[in-house]
Amino acid sequence: MLNAPEPSATGRNLTAALVIVVALVLQVSVANRLPLPGGVTPDLVLLAVVALALVNGSLTGVVTGFCAGLAADIIPPADHTIGRYALVYCLIGYVCGLAATEMDRQSIVPFLAVALGALAGTVLYALTGMMLGDPRASFTVVARMVPLQVLYDVIASPFVVWAVLRVTRRYDRGDRGRRDRFSLPAARYRAMSGRGTSR
Amino acid sequence: MDDTRRTRTVLGVLLVVALAMITIDYRGGADSPLRGLRGAGAAVFGPVESASASVVRPVGNTFDAITDAPGERRRADRLERENQQLREQLRASRLDAGSAQQLDRLLGTAGMGGYRIVAAQVISAGQGFEDTVTINAGGRSGVKPDMTVMSADGLVGRVTRVGPTTATVLLATDLTSTVGARLEDSKEIGIVQGRGRRGVGDGGQTPLRYQLLDANAPMRAGQRLVTLGSQGERPYVPGVPIGEIVRIDRPEGGLTRTAYVRPFVAFTSLDVVAVVVAPPKSDPHDGVLPPKPAPSPSATATASAEPAGKASPKPSGKPAKGD
Repeated sequence: MLNAPEPSATGRNLTAALVIVVALVLQVSVANRLPLPGGVTPDLVLLAVVALALVNGSLTGVVTGFCAGLAADIIPPADHTIGRYALVYCLIGYVCGLAATEMDRQSIVPFLAVALGALAGTVLYALTGMMLGDPRASFTVVARMVPLQVLYDVIASPFVVWAVLRVTRRYDRGDRGRRDRFSLPAARYRAMSGRGTSR
Repeated sequence: MDDTRRTRTVLGVLLVVALAMITIDYRGGADSPLRGLRGAGAAVFGPVESASASVVRPVGNTFDAITDAPGERRRADRLERENQQLREQLRASRLDAGSAQQLDRLLGTAGMGGYRIVAAQVISAGQGFEDTVTINAGGRSGVKPDMTVMSADGLVGRVTRVGPTTATVLLATDLTSTVGARLEDSKEIGIVQGRGRRGVGDGGQTPLRYQLLDANAPMRAGQRLVTLGSQGERPYVPGVPIGEIVRIDRPEGGLTRTAYVRPFVAFTSLDVVAVVVAPPKSDPHDGVLPPKPAPSPSATATASAEPAGKASPKPSGKPAKGD
């Protein structure tokens, strides 16, 4: 990492930016092309925003969410009103960041937060489309797609969350050397999700 | 806490910014001032997508590679990586052979209709409710907005936005896509509309809907559709095969009948496509359609009087290339 005066903050921001860019590119060039039943695909960017917000808190969640959303609005095949994803992801980042402080009290929080974040994000995005009168987000289409998309998001969430945590952990390990010097919520979350993904 | 107040301020500011962008972009419509942002997005992410598409072309196995359990065993890791690389090389060469074959068929189809094309590959697909893809040919290859995009099998969509090396294609299955279409063997015209992202309804079997303008005109299942051609050949050139009618609905008291169409193109697995950069000199009519399973050779002659002589030599060359 760069030897900036605040190595941890710079490193964290860089990691967050990297995670978002990778998630975006994977989303459009891999996930969206998967021929999954129903024509719906998991939203990796939303999951990455949720995971980053849970690890780093509200402020990071808000900023990351906005930047990721704006990038998702302008990345080439996008063809909707600019700002819709920015609005939705920004809100989701904030709300999931609030849950970061609850993390050390309730061990089930991370998984609930990811599922709820996916649900809220998908529904909010559909709602913005309905409000703008987007013909693609008509009620029949939304009613058919949203449940399936939430299901896919929940299925994909352990993998994305695990990948995000692994990247941040690698950075933290290089930075501080010891695992037990994590801030408490993040450590708890990591331990939890490690247990969760290894079956 | 001071921290939460700061967070809330940031949240408020960013939400206002997002809402302002939505408003400006929505009100501005086609020439909104934020189009520049999309251009920047295409310039920045276009090359990244091209690069990643060339890396992750074997899609399913890439997912496996990413989600593989992390091992401490470095040696196994290294061997696995090597193995993966070799397998990827093998697959890449096989894919290239497949692409070459597709391209060959594409050139055959384009040649039949007399279209001039720029070949391209699909590198990414849209998110959410829109049914759009990015192709790796852009302004530098002569692609412009509102050009027809086809594959060897038929109509794919039209170009909506062009970056330097990439272009965005609105697929025919998108809900906002409408294409003028004509029944084969007749002059009955109508409109083909998309039914939403990859045809969510009906198990994805019939992602297109066709509405005949004349409610009393004959129409039956099994008939095929070609594009009618737009005014000035933009956005759609004439004669591109679209699909086959699967079933016909007659709603109570409806003024038009609706048919559900199975497209010739597999929209979930698009790979090599072509942008029609110059329309044909004359309307190819039904000449580009693949040969019929049941023989009815006299039908093309009755389709139209004067270009029949032009259309008839084409079907003869078709069976050789079509399959």
